Amino acid sequence: MLPHRLDFAAAAAFFGLMALLPLVFGSNYLIGVLTVSAIYGIWAVSWDFMSGLTGRENFGHSLFIGVGAYTAGFLNTSLGASGWWSLPAAMVVAVLFALVIGLPTLRLKGPYFALAMLSGAVIMQRLMLIFWEYTGGEEGINGLTPLIRSQLGFYYFALAVLAAMTLLLVVLARSHWGLILRAIRGDEATCQAAGINVTFYKIASLVISAAFAGAGGAMYAHYQLQVSPQLFAVVTSITIITMVYVGGMGTIYGPVGGAILLVLLMELLRDFGEWRLMIYSCTLILILFFLPEGLVAPMWRRLRAALTSRKPAGTGRTAAGLSQLEPGREPRP
Amino acid sequence: MLEILIVGAVSSAIYAMLAVGFTLIFGVARVLNLAHGSFYALGAYGTYFLSSTLKWPLLVAALTSVAVVALFGVAVERVLVRPMRHSQLAVLMITLAVALVVEQALFLTFGSEYRNVPAFVDTKFTIGGVDVGGARLLALGVCMVLIGALWLFIQHTRLGSAILAISQDAQAAQYMGIPSDRIFSLVMAISAALAAAAGILAGPFLTVQPTMWLLPIVKAFAIVVVGGLGSIPGSIVAALMLGYAETIVAYGISTSWTEIVSVLATLLMLVVRPAGIFGRRAAF
Repeated sequence: MLPHRLDFAAAAAFFGLMALLPLVFGSNYLIGVLTVSAIYGIWAVSWDFMSGLTGRENFGHSLFIGVGAYTAGFLNTSLGASGWWSLPAAMVVAVLFALVIGLPTLRLKGPYFALAMLSGAVIMQRLMLIFWEYTGGEEGINGLTPLIRSQLGFYYFALAVLAAMTLLLVVLARSHWGLILRAIRGDEATCQAAGINVTFYKIASLVISAAFAGAGGAMYAHYQLQVSPQLFAVVTSITIITMVYVGGMGTIYGPVGGAILLVLLMELLRDFGEWRLMIYSCTLILILFFLPEGLVAPMWRRLRAALTSRKPAGTGRTAAGLSQLEPGREPRP
Repeated sequence: MLEILIVGAVSSAIYAMLAVGFTLIFGVARVLNLAHGSFYALGAYGTYFLSSTLKWPLLVAALTSVAVVALFGVAVERVLVRPMRHSQLAVLMITLAVALVVEQALFLTFGSEYRNVPAFVDTKFTIGGVDVGGARLLALGVCMVLIGALWLFIQHTRLGSAILAISQDAQAAQYMGIPSDRIFSLVMAISAALAAAAGILAGPFLTVQPTMWLLPIVKAFAIVVVGGLGSIPGSIVAALMLGYAETIVAYGISTSWTEIVSVLATLLMLVVRPAGIFGRRAAF
C-alpha cells in the first residue's frame, strides 16, 4: 500500500475508533472526557501549525483561546445571540488579536517571542480581573446556552471539527506553504534572500493558528457553559505545548494523539488524589528526557515503516518527499 | 513619599537578587532557567522547615538551606539541563517541569496554607516618620552586600574572569582551557544560592506557599528582558525601575494593576528594543 494511503487509512481508523468509543461504553463521563480531549486536540494542532512548523514557540496560545471563549460568552449572554454565531465571531476576534500582537512581535525569535506572547496572555488575564464589572472578574461569565443539546451530539461535532481541521492543516503543511514555513524555521535570512515574503507567511500562519484556537475556545465555552479568566492562564498554554511535545512537534497529526493521551492520563490519575499533579509532572520530565522527538509521531513513523517494509521516512532518499512532514532533527535557530 | 522610596528600594533589592542570578546563568550557559523561582521558594521553605520544625537556630537554618538549594541547582543543571542544551525549547520545558515537581513536592509536604518564615529582626524602625519593618531593612542591606560581593568576585578573581570569558565567547574560552562544564555548575550554584537567599530574606513579609515560584520568575524574566539578557548592571537598573514603578502604581492607582506593570514593560521593551537597555546584541 502507498504510504500516504496508509496515513489516510490510519487516520480514518483512529477517528472511527474515537467515534465508536462512546457507543460501546455509553457512559456520560467517558463522553465528557473525550469531548475535552477533542477540544484540547484542536488547540494543540492549531499551536503546532504555527509554532511547530516555524519554530516560533508561542507560550501565549491561551490568549487566543481566552478571547475566543469570552467573545462567545459576551455574544451569548449579553446579546442573546445563538451559539452558532459564537464560532465565526470568536475566530474573527482571535484573528484581530493575532494581528495586533503578531505584527510587532513576530520579528522576535526563540525565547523572546515565547515571552512576548506569554506577556500578552498574562496582560489579558489581569485585565479580565481588573475590569470585573464587565467581565465578571474571577467568576467569569456564566449561563451560556449549549451549542448542541445532546452531549453525544456535541462530542461528534467537536470530533468532526478536529478531524476536518487536522486534515486541512496536514494538507497545508504538506503543500508549498508548509515547506516555506519549515524553511523559515531553518534559516529565515536565506528565505528572505530567496525573495520569500517571510513576514506574510509568519503572520498568516499565526492568524490561521489563532483562528482555530479561538474557535476551540468558543466551543469550550459552550461546553462548560461558562468562561473564566483561568482560560488565559499560563498553565493552559503550557499544557498545550506539552501535548504537542508528547505528540511530536511539527507533525500536525502527532499533537492530536498527544492531546488525547495526556487528557486520558490526567483522568486515570484522578485516583491518586493529591499525588496526581506530582505523577503528571514526573512523567513529563521522563518523556522530555527520554523521548526528545515525542511519542506519538515517531511511533507511527516506525509502524508505517514496518507496514510498508521500507526504511523509515527521512533516512532514505526515496522517502524524502514524504518526509516533508516529518522534520526529524533539523537544526533549530 | 518616603514610604514609597523605602518600600520601592526593598522590593527592587529582592527583584535584583532574583534577576541577577537568572541573567547570570543565561549569560554564561545560555540557559533560560524557569526553575529559578523554585529555588526562591525552596530557600524560604527550607528555612521554615529547619527553624520552625527542627528548631535549628535561624542563621544556621538559613545558611544550610542556601547550601542545599545550591546543591539542588547543580544537580538539576548536571542531570536534566545539560543533555538538553542543544534546544532552547527543551530547556524551557524541562526546567518548567522541574518547577512543577518542586511545587507539588512542597504542596504534598507542607500543604497549601501560608507559612510564616521567622524574621531575623522583629523590631520596627522609624525613619523620618515612616515605620519600616526590620526584616525589610535587613533584606535591603543583605541584598546590596551580596550583589556587591558577586560583582567583586566576577571582576577581580580568576574564577570570575573565567565566567566572564565564557559569557563572551564560550567556544573561544574552551579553547583557552577554561573548563566550561565546571564553570556552568559553579554559576548555577551561585544563581540558585542567590535565589534561595532572596526567598529567605523576603519570606517574613511575603506569602510563603507552594505556588510562590511563578510570580518571581515572571518578574525576573521581565527585569532581565528590560535590562538586557545576560547583563548584570542592566538587571540591577531594570530591577530598580520595575521595583519603583510597581510601588508607585500600588500606592497611586491600585495593587491590582501592579502585576501588569512588569508584564507590560516586558512587552513594550521587546517590541521597541529586544536587546534591552544594556544588552549588547539582540541575542539569537
